[in-house]
Amino acid sequence: MSHTGYRPVLDPAIAPPFPDAALPVLRNPQLRKNVAHAIDVIQNKRGRLVEEKQDWQALRTAAAAIRTHALENLGTYLEQFEERCTAAGGVVHWASDAADARHIILELLREENASEVIKIKTMTSAEIQLNPHLEGAGVKVFETDLAEIILQLGEDEPSHIVVPALHVNRSQVREIFARRMGIENLSDDPQALTAAARSYLRRKFLSVPTAIGGANFLIAETGAVAVVESEGNGRMCLTLPKTMITIAGIEKVLPRYQDLEVMLQVLARSATGERMNPYTSLWTGVTPGDGPQRFHVILLDNGRSQILARRTERQTLRCIRCAACMNACPVYRQTGGHAYGSVYPGPIGAILTPQLTQMHHAQSLPYASSLCGACYEVCPVKINIPEVLIELRSQVTDQERKQVRRIFDPMYLGLRMANLLFSRAWLFHAAQRMGRLALGFFTRKDGWIHALPSVGAKWTQTRDLRGLPKQTFHTWWAARESASSKIGDGEAR
Amino acid sequence: MSGASPAIRQQVLDRIRAATRNQTGAAGEKHSNGSALPRDYVRHGSLSTEARLELMIHRLHEYDAEVAQCAPEALVATIAAQLEKSKKRVFVAPAGLPKEWLAEGFEWRVDQIGQGLTTAEIEQADGVVTTCFCGIADSGTIVLHHSAAEGRRVLSLLPDWHLCILRASQVVETLPEYFSRCNQAPALVTWISGPSATADIEMTRIKGVHGPRFLHVILVRDDGAEEILH
Repeated sequence: MSHTGYRPVLDPAIAPPFPDAALPVLRNPQLRKNVAHAIDVIQNKRGRLVEEKQDWQALRTAAAAIRTHALENLGTYLEQFEERCTAAGGVVHWASDAADARHIILELLREENASEVIKIKTMTSAEIQLNPHLEGAGVKVFETDLAEIILQLGEDEPSHIVVPALHVNRSQVREIFARRMGIENLSDDPQALTAAARSYLRRKFLSVPTAIGGANFLIAETGAVAVVESEGNGRMCLTLPKTMITIAGIEKVLPRYQDLEVMLQVLARSATGERMNPYTSLWTGVTPGDGPQRFHVILLDNGRSQILARRTERQTLRCIRCAACMNACPVYRQTGGHAYGSVYPGPIGAILTPQLTQMHHAQSLPYASSLCGACYEVCPVKINIPEVLIELRSQVTDQERKQVRRIFDPMYLGLRMANLLFSRAWLFHAAQRMGRLALGFFTRKDGWIHALPSVGAKWTQTRDLRGLPKQTFHTWWAARESASSKIGDGEAR
Repeated sequence: MSGASPAIRQQVLDRIRAATRNQTGAAGEKHSNGSALPRDYVRHGSLSTEARLELMIHRLHEYDAEVAQCAPEALVATIAAQLEKSKKRVFVAPAGLPKEWLAEGFEWRVDQIGQGLTTAEIEQADGVVTTCFCGIADSGTIVLHHSAAEGRRVLSLLPDWHLCILRASQVVETLPEYFSRCNQAPALVTWISGPSATADIEMTRIKGVHGPRFLHVILVRDDGAEEILH
């Protein structure tokens, strides 16, 4: 955060590993308080609404089945979407990677002679780092979601995919708005701050002719696009400009219009703890006399088809970006979102980010989890995040094993040693006897070990270790067996 | 068609096809439209008409929307009364709004087909009156399909005050029931659940960011339950 002197890095290619990136937050009590407060509020609201929903599990099952089916037939549904959207007057573009998508968008903006764009919050545009690219090409970008304005004006980065500025509190927002909007005597009342954003943006909505946004869903059956929001900034951007450009991941497609009866029910409850979000908009290509008369959709692959190809990992693409997993995650609660070094934080980010980089970056993220499974339990499309985390961990390990520098890495040395010991009984027993002898040396009269030397101190610095019992389970069992055979056959059974 | 490269399109589609080759769906229905997937959730509500309407009103109240009820023959008078109460003067009307609803004593800006109001004309109006396609009681949602009487999207967006006419017969209990009422998928839809809101600053819910700050609903009791109105 700029106001505390550093700007988090959300590019997986250059972001520091998770444990390092987590430190600034862990050392900042204000930040931790802001994150925990926001998460508690959402979690409580979500909990109440899920509780009242008698058919919640049936909805999850249906939502997972619809998303799975859409992915299994992704090519067919995307072509269908393209055909129907085109028939309705939209233009569909395909982008293989982030550079493709940025290029297409910039070309479209050049055709429009656009020097300014208004934007609806879209994580996909953050994924391809669109804003810095557009600014670099001389296009002024105005984010219109309140949280995104806070971040843009505060030169900060999103730390959550639904409430991206949850790490910023009201007095920090006040400071940013007062400084960047040039308002004196601005109070830190959220009502006043929201009103400031409203009037700041009103004239932009009414004057900027080009908008960029994302998509929550693409409907194959009709070629329609759906955007789910709360503030109405989405509706402004979808209605007032002359040209609308939508960027959507290829996985966003749903087979039928009617599938929204499931997705909208699970999305709002999971994301913000509401029965329904204030506004959802759906439009199909271009409607004469109503809304933008030029409409472009960019279908972005950017690593998604590689995820699709993998059996365990494919479920990652079912994600509908509700953020329930990060709200439920005990790790995210402590570290906030910036530690993940990606625009996608939390458990879903821990599996999505390394895969989007095709495992070239973000290798620390699959370990940024206690595997407690809370994310799986709340996921409205039943993504088994722990299962994917474990699969990715094994891939990271396979990568590391091939690296020469790992030969003398203490952990890998230790593990190779363990492998040797555990595969030979006599070696194992010998090592065990030696270990018992050594530990006995440090065991005090009270039966506890209070201090160990060397690496062992890492344990005993903060807690005691119980001394070993007189015999191992193995010796006890062997003695018991031989004793019972002496007593006589059958009786003991 | 700028930027649309057939080569990239083919490349992406080839990658997708390669990734999904040699597999059948869990329900063994590859290439169908997914209609046979498990759908054991609640489709039809179980409330009586009265309870359904009560729930709709309750939810609207939760969103701070104001609700007035009237018998069908009292609608024109009720609209006039609501406009009067709003203390506003200039109203926008969609092209298809019944002419008799445009109460005397107010300035009406009617959005003519083919010659619509300008953004400025709409923005400077105090309020807007529209009909809707459906109300969903479970979530207190009002659904607009933007027909002639529901108006273009911009009409119900820019004015700060929105009066929506909802008939009792249009109120369903569940979201799936709304979808069963769509004979064909509409091209434009807006689902409105309460006034525009944000919780982006410390999760404090603030009403009225960009859309209308005030939502009023007249529930027209065309379900023959007029006695409760007196």
